[in-house]
Amino acid sequence: MATPPVPELLKTHLTKLAESDERLDGRGRFEGRDVIVETGVLARAEGSARVQMGDTIVLAGVKFQIMTPYPDRPTSGGFMTSAEVRPVCGVHWEAGPPSPEAIELGRVVDRGIRESGCIDMEDLCILPGEKAWQVILDVFALSDDGNLFDAFATAAMAALRTAIIPGERFDVGEDRPLPVSKTPMMCSYHRVGGRFVYDALRREEIGGGERIHITLGDDNHVHSLQKGLKGAFTAAEFDEIMEHARSRCAELRDLVNN
Amino acid sequence: MGGYSDVQMIDENGIRVDGRTAGEIRPVSINAGIIPVADGSAEVIWGTNHVIAAVYGPMEAHPRKIQKQDRAVLDVRYNMAPFSTTDRIRPGFNRRSREISKVTAEALESVVLTELYPRSKIRVEIEVITAEAGTRCAGITAASVALADAGIPMTDMVISVASGKINGVVVCDLNKEEDNYGEADLPMGVCANSGELVFLQMDGDLSPEEFQIAWDYNMEAIAPVHEMMIDALKRSNGGDE
Repeated sequence: MATPPVPELLKTHLTKLAESDERLDGRGRFEGRDVIVETGVLARAEGSARVQMGDTIVLAGVKFQIMTPYPDRPTSGGFMTSAEVRPVCGVHWEAGPPSPEAIELGRVVDRGIRESGCIDMEDLCILPGEKAWQVILDVFALSDDGNLFDAFATAAMAALRTAIIPGERFDVGEDRPLPVSKTPMMCSYHRVGGRFVYDALRREEIGGGERIHITLGDDNHVHSLQKGLKGAFTAAEFDEIMEHARSRCAELRDLVNN
Repeated sequence: MGGYSDVQMIDENGIRVDGRTAGEIRPVSINAGIIPVADGSAEVIWGTNHVIAAVYGPMEAHPRKIQKQDRAVLDVRYNMAPFSTTDRIRPGFNRRSREISKVTAEALESVVLTELYPRSKIRVEIEVITAEAGTRCAGITAASVALADAGIPMTDMVISVASGKINGVVVCDLNKEEDNYGEADLPMGVCANSGELVFLQMDGDLSPEEFQIAWDYNMEAIAPVHEMMIDALKRSNGGDE
């Protein structure tokens, strides 16, 4: 990975490019990389997907466990997301307990899916107060060339959409597809060279400023927002991003639902 | 080891549950250069096992206390992804993965010319994406290809295979079903050209005769896998030579 030894040089370079509205790889400001989605890629997961956007590659795997419902919601199952960003995916990711960045990744992806209500938690109940399914979504980075957020969110939905509840293996009924009623999608924007760009490369992330993540559900309902890193943005900038997110999320949704 | 069992895993003609003969390994495919951002990478698909290895470096070793004045340190991590097994694995290191990381590092240190890079570090990341049985062997083999793909000078490539015993019969390369009822396991890491061993473990129960058969099965499996490793490197680096 061509990590620049002097980020200041990179920043200057990105600012220069921005003046003529250019990007490192020749894309337009709001132009995304091609997204390739494959499902059924993990033999041991009950639902899985691999997403590639340029040199960014991620996996998502869905597993099921039987849990005791929480006392205040005896007829609800559970949903949990965990993001694994291990040092395999890039020279800048270090070994050890999950970094704040990895935890943020998992939580933002989780919120978008959870708050959209695309998984019917009541449907996951097996025996009220005693047994329910817990859906565990693991997203795993293989190669990080920027914008893990969107790659994770896209892979997550593709994996959930193909997940089969393993009733037979746990001796609680038949296998059946996990009902997923909506397809929330995430779009992420980074400030690079003074203006926001969509689907940043790793080098744009390193030399850029704050970032904004938007998760939109079907019918463009907003389900999660997150602003990360130091920096301030205007309402006008946000409006512009939101408008792009609405059209791009719809495109990504079509790709995942194919 | 699951220990002795009445489950019949091998028929009277010596054919195993998945149709293999005693000395046969599972279908293997190897690809190099699969992680674009890594300095070197490889995947080994060995039966249902899917193992990925990435290499970063040589790079500065920090903190400084881990530096060796006369050679590079190999920083090897073996890890199983949470979705790699039937029952989900809780993320994080455990005693098993630490031990495998250690013996893998020592196997690879035996062939990497670490003295060319004093005070530096070479990172080797092994990730098990799908596990069947024999992930440590697939990990060592994948790491060898990834190191070569990264252009790290080595005296040899390491290929790792295990043989074991089911229903009292010695067989090569146990799959998951066989491993559950296995009575012995002998994983070995062998240098392709010199034939020397750089990795060796064993558990279970083997008579001297059985041990010899298991050893020979492993040795016979080395050359064909080595061919596939070379082929993978040629393909990823464009062209034949």
